[in-house]
Amino acid sequence: MFSHRKTATALLAAMIAAALGACASNAPKSSSSGASAGSGKTFVIGYSQSNNAEPYRAQLNAQLAYYVKKYPDLKLLPITDAHQDSATQVSQVQNFVQQKVDVLIVSPNEPAPLTAAVLQACQAHIPVIILDRSVNTDCYTAFIGGDNYAIGKLAGQAAVAALPGGGNVAELQGILSDQPQIDRDKGFRDAIAGHDITIAYHQEAKWLKANATTIMQQWLSQGTKIDLVYGENDDMALGAVLAAQGANKASQIKFIGTDGLAIPTGGIRAVQQGSMYTTFVYPTGAEQAAATAEAIVHGQSVAKKQTLPTIQITKDNADAVYKQYDMTTKS
Amino acid sequence: MRPDEDVAADSAPPLLRMRDIAKQFPGVRALTGVDLTVHGGEVVALLGENGAGKSTLMNILAGVHADYDGVIELDGEPARIHSPRQAAHHGITMIHQELNLVPELSISDNVFLGRELRSRRGTLDRKAMHRRTAELLAELGLALPPQRPVRECRIAERQLVEVAKALNGRLKVLVMDEPTSALAAAEVERLFTVIRSLARRGVGIVYISHRLEELKEIADSVTVLRDGGNVGSRDAHTVDRDELVALMVGRPLDNLYPRATEQRSEGPVRLEVSGLTFTPTPGQSGTALHDLDFTVRAGEIVGLAGLMGAGRSEVLESLYGARSPVTGSIKLDGRRYAPRSPRQAIRRGLALVAEDRKAQSLVLDNTVRFNTTLAALHRFLRPWRTVNRRAEKAAAAEQNAALGTKTASVETVVGTLSGGNQQKVVLAKCLLTKPTLLLVDEPTRGIDVGAKAEIHALLDRLAEAGSAILAVSSELPELLGICDRIIVLCEGRITGEFHRDPAHGPVAAQEAILSAAMARQAVLASGSTLLGSTHD
Amino acid sequence: MTDTLADSPGSGSGAGAGSGSPEAPGPHRPGAAERLRRALPALGSLQSYIGLVLVIAVGIATKGAVFWNQTNLTNAITAFASRGILAVGVTLVILTAGIDLSVGSILGIGSMTAAMLLVHHGLSPLLIVPACAAVGALFGFLNGVGTTWLKIQSFVMTLAMLSVVRGIDRQVSDNVAVGVQLIGPNGQPTRKADAFAKLGTPGHQLVSGSWLPLFGRAGVGYPLVAFFAVCVVFQLILSRTRFGRHIYAVGGNPVAARLSGVNVTLVVIAVFTLSGMLAGFAGPIDAAYSASADPLAGTGYELDAIAAAVIGGTSLAGGKGSITGTAVGALILTLLDNVLGLNAVSDNLQLIIKGLIVVVAVVLQRPGFLRGAVDPLARRIRSGRG
Repeated sequence: MFSHRKTATALLAAMIAAALGACASNAPKSSSSGASAGSGKTFVIGYSQSNNAEPYRAQLNAQLAYYVKKYPDLKLLPITDAHQDSATQVSQVQNFVQQKVDVLIVSPNEPAPLTAAVLQACQAHIPVIILDRSVNTDCYTAFIGGDNYAIGKLAGQAAVAALPGGGNVAELQGILSDQPQIDRDKGFRDAIAGHDITIAYHQEAKWLKANATTIMQQWLSQGTKIDLVYGENDDMALGAVLAAQGANKASQIKFIGTDGLAIPTGGIRAVQQGSMYTTFVYPTGAEQAAATAEAIVHGQSVAKKQTLPTIQITKDNADAVYKQYDMTTKS
Repeated sequence: MRPDEDVAADSAPPLLRMRDIAKQFPGVRALTGVDLTVHGGEVVALLGENGAGKSTLMNILAGVHADYDGVIELDGEPARIHSPRQAAHHGITMIHQELNLVPELSISDNVFLGRELRSRRGTLDRKAMHRRTAELLAELGLALPPQRPVRECRIAERQLVEVAKALNGRLKVLVMDEPTSALAAAEVERLFTVIRSLARRGVGIVYISHRLEELKEIADSVTVLRDGGNVGSRDAHTVDRDELVALMVGRPLDNLYPRATEQRSEGPVRLEVSGLTFTPTPGQSGTALHDLDFTVRAGEIVGLAGLMGAGRSEVLESLYGARSPVTGSIKLDGRRYAPRSPRQAIRRGLALVAEDRKAQSLVLDNTVRFNTTLAALHRFLRPWRTVNRRAEKAAAAEQNAALGTKTASVETVVGTLSGGNQQKVVLAKCLLTKPTLLLVDEPTRGIDVGAKAEIHALLDRLAEAGSAILAVSSELPELLGICDRIIVLCEGRITGEFHRDPAHGPVAAQEAILSAAMARQAVLASGSTLLGSTHD
Repeated sequence: MTDTLADSPGSGSGAGAGSGSPEAPGPHRPGAAERLRRALPALGSLQSYIGLVLVIAVGIATKGAVFWNQTNLTNAITAFASRGILAVGVTLVILTAGIDLSVGSILGIGSMTAAMLLVHHGLSPLLIVPACAAVGALFGFLNGVGTTWLKIQSFVMTLAMLSVVRGIDRQVSDNVAVGVQLIGPNGQPTRKADAFAKLGTPGHQLVSGSWLPLFGRAGVGYPLVAFFAVCVVFQLILSRTRFGRHIYAVGGNPVAARLSGVNVTLVVIAVFTLSGMLAGFAGPIDAAYSASADPLAGTGYELDAIAAAVIGGTSLAGGKGSITGTAVGALILTLLDNVLGLNAVSDNLQLIIKGLIVVVAVVLQRPGFLRGAVDPLARRIRSGRG
């Protein structure tokens, strides 16, 4: 019995050691404020991410690491992951403030809870770049983000173009209370207003592929003809594609997504392969964030609000855009 | 409750009167027209076989059963008792067999549970509660710190803590359900002292017990129930034991211990133990065993006597592989045997009837069949280790029929059977493994007289047929009645061995056994170790 | 089949459990209802069947043939199949009075393992499925080791495992979903990807054709077959084998089980290992259903699995319940999902309804529930008269 317990303890210890080892390999090689060898001062950037486990944000992290590296005097601390929890993110931001980073980048999980933390950074005279989602204060240096309303509207216009004779649309919505959901939904509806297009179905699929598949199957079994599916992100649109393929109806339906990530399971590939009609790149802003950080540390002025343009993905430009944003081939 | 008494003639109304109480369970009439009267300062013993309706009657009094017919009067006034809260309001307290204390809380917290004292700031006034608890404990002759967690108290102490809890409120009627079943002789004596002092203060006491021997000592009157009705009341001081048994069973019982007198210590040695030592690891409960030597022969019933905490159960559990670490040399039929697990013990032909059948022996929510065959499933296996349920069911039915288990079918849920019948299921389970050495721990605790006699007869038959039996019991008369030899333990050491037949050695007698059981305490008290190994 | 199921012990409405008489085991006069109740416990509780019928009735009443057709029903069950398989494993653990919160995470890592074995190593599904089951079994085994040898409460142990496994899943996937629809040079899905799709991608059936009784045109997919096969196999294990007996014994009274020669430690470890194995086994189904393995796949599934077991009459106190009950519970949840979805009930309302159903199910399955509600009333009436 005793020896069993010992074995088990050893096993557990080994697991923990392995896990710690994995973490250590990602840890910074030098302390946060240390100057690097050679030319001059190194500026430290802290980035607080709301949730690593969304493909869009994983892509953002990869791109940011890539673009920051392009500036030799910038150094990115390990990206913190708030696991979609605002309280966690607040304390992570406060940690960066304590470490006195030179530039703080925040992708807020929710506006209200993060506002106070951003204000703290502001009072500590740390320049803050807000990436993607907003906060309820003006006390930051730059906001970089896409325009969800505009993207929704473009998607609506694409739907109008795809259905010249009008038709029925089904809309798969993200979590109803999320701001991007609200904006994309409004943009889409504004664009199709006045055209002979009706939204036959709409339901919350919480940004998730499996949910979208199940919901789409239910819609298809109801009998009303669906001409076009608008997914507020690519995952949901692709979930609907799976359901339609399963019911042998995929060829009669056009699918529009949003996000356009350059990953194998993303929307760009799907457009390229023809399973989706079109999608819109929701830019990560990583490139702009790195450039803005560089400008800030060198005392140059930066635009307070930078709205990022979107790109509509079609069969023609899919391959090129994919290559441009694919991070696996760059390092 | 004096049998010839006319209630109207009594000047003061009795403390408690239950009149014409009836209770119906779905499909069963549990009680019909039962009367019970208790005067202030009187100890009324309530007797009856399991299933006679004692617990149902007392549960009605304690407010557990909300729904019943009949009238309850307190001091001549009708009282509505339909919930435990109402019962408590009237000063009625019941101390159950399974004690109702919170083990993790301290004695004082338990005594004040639900009526905690508060200081002016609204926080708990622990100092005052501890003081009051200490007073109550002192009244009961207990020298325990009020801060001690109840989990660290012995069963006898816990019982008195319950009494203290009752005394802390308004106490008019105290119901005690088999309070002595888990106590050793000295502890019983202390409890009786407490009961007498409560009676002197005018508390009415209802006392449920299966130990007929102690009634004379503690009770004033005896009321007997059978099949849910009154069968009579007697004066406890004059009634004779056989009469009570006849009342309970409804027929005269020939003999509670139906065995021949000659000792059967002639068979081959089945179990030979030398140097058995068990040292509980820190945090493990139980008494340490020191270097025990003894043998059990085929066809012999050997008893293990001793006070609570003497290590009797530990001996059985050590042999059965349920305790570790155990050292020493053990031989079964001359072959070496090192107990590792109950599983292996069963394979070597041991079987254990554990001390607490509900906690240790039975899966109460499951059926008689499930429980009977649990230890012997390997006998009913077909390829792929599937169970041949026809054979299993037949074997379970047969074994239970042989033991006289009263159950509608083997698919009845064990938890719904009476204590005696549950114990028979436990025995059936053990016997189905075809043991050659049967270890029985308190085989008749909490079961009625009729079932007791049947189990004694069964053990006797098994021994007659060549099984070796090692039996633990807190009831000395039981051991004296059924055993060929009695080994006495005291604090983990053997302090005496007594025989049925004087030709084999010192003869087993109550006084000799008791003094051996307390030998160690005498030794420790005198500060000497001279008598350390009387058994050599 | 009925013979098999009729034997397994316990579940909410055990015949004797409801009688409530502490003494006096007098003979019951079994009426027709009583006899039915005696036969049923093993089939799950009667109440859960009533629940299932109710859900179906509501579905037909509100949506008619849109709900009650083979395609819709198979779609609904397929969507829930992986969670149903988790529920079977969780039921085993709950029967031993434990709990397994890690199954959702283990399903996640199973789905990631499946996708990676397919994409990076080109394994055939015939190898992928057992490999994933083995990965799941490993984590389940660690759960068992933690709860027995290290004496950690199963709630704590599996909560920790939930976190550890999810972390490993996210680490190996680098937080990026892995797609399994591999396209060959000719623009068509590769043979292996096509075979993998058979594990549950919508529209891919194992068998279909009008000759098929019951399912006809809709065909039968692997998730459906796997779910029902798992249910049958584990119900047989529970009711027919010695191991099954030991599971009930350990859950009903671990001390008594040990003293009866049951190797309690081994049973508990085995049960956790099986639960992990089933979760790993369900992973490929989930990956195929979404045609990709998401690092977050299976999040929260453990709660659906536990709900299915509880609705099916399994007691969290251990020792009572059956796989058939759990299967009925899973069917209730899946069809409920479907009915609410077809009626476009908002997600917020769905959450409320599902929560309430768990509460109602548990209360209804309490033995003697109705009696408890009626008795005080009867007494009040009687005492009012007298």
